[in-house]
Amino acid sequence: MKKENFFKKNWLVMLTGLLIGAAAVVLTAFGNPKNMGFCIACFLRDIAGALKLHGAAPVQYFRPEIVGIVAGACIMALIGKEFKPKAGSSPFIRFALGAAVMIGALVFLGCPLRMVIRIGGGDLNAIVGLVGFVLGILIGVFFLKHNFSLGRAYKQGPVEGLLFPILLIGGFVLTLIAGSLFAFSEEGPGSMHAPILLALGIGLVVGALAQKSRLCMVGGVRDAVMFKEFGLLAAFGCIIVAVLVGNAIRGTLNWGFEGQPIAHTEWLWNLLGMTVVGWGCALLGGCPLRQLVLAGEGNADSAITVLGMIAGAAAAHTLKTASSADGTGANGPIATIVCLLFILVISVTHLKKEQ
Amino acid sequence: MMQYLATFHTHLASLKTHRALAAAGIEARMAPVPRKISSSCGTCVFYSADNPCYDKLDADVEAVYLLKDKDAELLRQFE
Repeated sequence: MKKENFFKKNWLVMLTGLLIGAAAVVLTAFGNPKNMGFCIACFLRDIAGALKLHGAAPVQYFRPEIVGIVAGACIMALIGKEFKPKAGSSPFIRFALGAAVMIGALVFLGCPLRMVIRIGGGDLNAIVGLVGFVLGILIGVFFLKHNFSLGRAYKQGPVEGLLFPILLIGGFVLTLIAGSLFAFSEEGPGSMHAPILLALGIGLVVGALAQKSRLCMVGGVRDAVMFKEFGLLAAFGCIIVAVLVGNAIRGTLNWGFEGQPIAHTEWLWNLLGMTVVGWGCALLGGCPLRQLVLAGEGNADSAITVLGMIAGAAAAHTLKTASSADGTGANGPIATIVCLLFILVISVTHLKKEQ
Repeated sequence: MMQYLATFHTHLASLKTHRALAAAGIEARMAPVPRKISSSCGTCVFYSADNPCYDKLDADVEAVYLLKDKDAELLRQFE
């Protein structure tokens, strides 16, 4: 195969980045919380709340964007004959790593996607988070280079791969026909949302494009460091550019540390929270968005990781480790340290010996 | 000399294969799997050799391709 030039090779992932950034701005304009047009961690946390897995009243809503991303990726994978059900790569460790990543994300207040969206809104606390995120990925890459592995996955039947997308869609339909069974925020971020069909539609497009382009916030830094491949990192930049331009047009660009939407200024925990996310996701092989897309492609290990994230969100609010605009939760700092130690243990205990 | 590409079920398997090929004096490099080959975001190994060197590949190899001018021909799919 001939080597292609950078733009020919990476135009789709860069376009996907631009569209995700634009989608975040549009979703915010139509009701999603400020600087939270698209946040996988926040949205999974809201879904955990809607399912009454935690009792934090301001963050309970069954976010259609998540349903759309998984369904969009699933449909695109089926069309492209890339739907390949598989499972069996350390499933419970992935569940626990997913939970740890979510706890770290809720200390920072956002997944890697929201981190770049916050940067695009002028939130300088997110730059601190970015430093921690890159640091975490670099630690993960160190272990990857020294024989870290969670083991291989094995081919599964179609039901194994389809069950997660079907359950998610089923849950969403239930919220429409039997809404009283679920919890919905009456105030706070969970009460702020774009119209359902718009959110679902944008989720479908983002999921389909992310499947086609393999966009991954962790993969960008990992590939740049390990292989000097900068395509995914360029997409990372494209999201920031699109959000910056969108916020500038809407007049919502606001540079600074103080008074940023749904953010706090405790730099150490912003940094370490995202270190947890970067390190954990490097071991998992992808950011929270990528885990949703892989789950849509039939990867049941990723589906379990997403369930781990939902469980982590429930734990974060029940155990008061999640931050708020007022600062870190009462148990946020200790939870961050516990998560870092946990990921260190997983990293060290999964270094395979050379045969 | 032919150009080959091997994909793997784990990053570790590609790392070990890269080391085994390099130890045998075979020119090899690791890279993200090309999008044309797979929707997986794993790691692959490109290598130049007279044959596909199946004996040098890690047990967790997924597939081996022969690289041609514009495309890649699947030589062998592993379990």
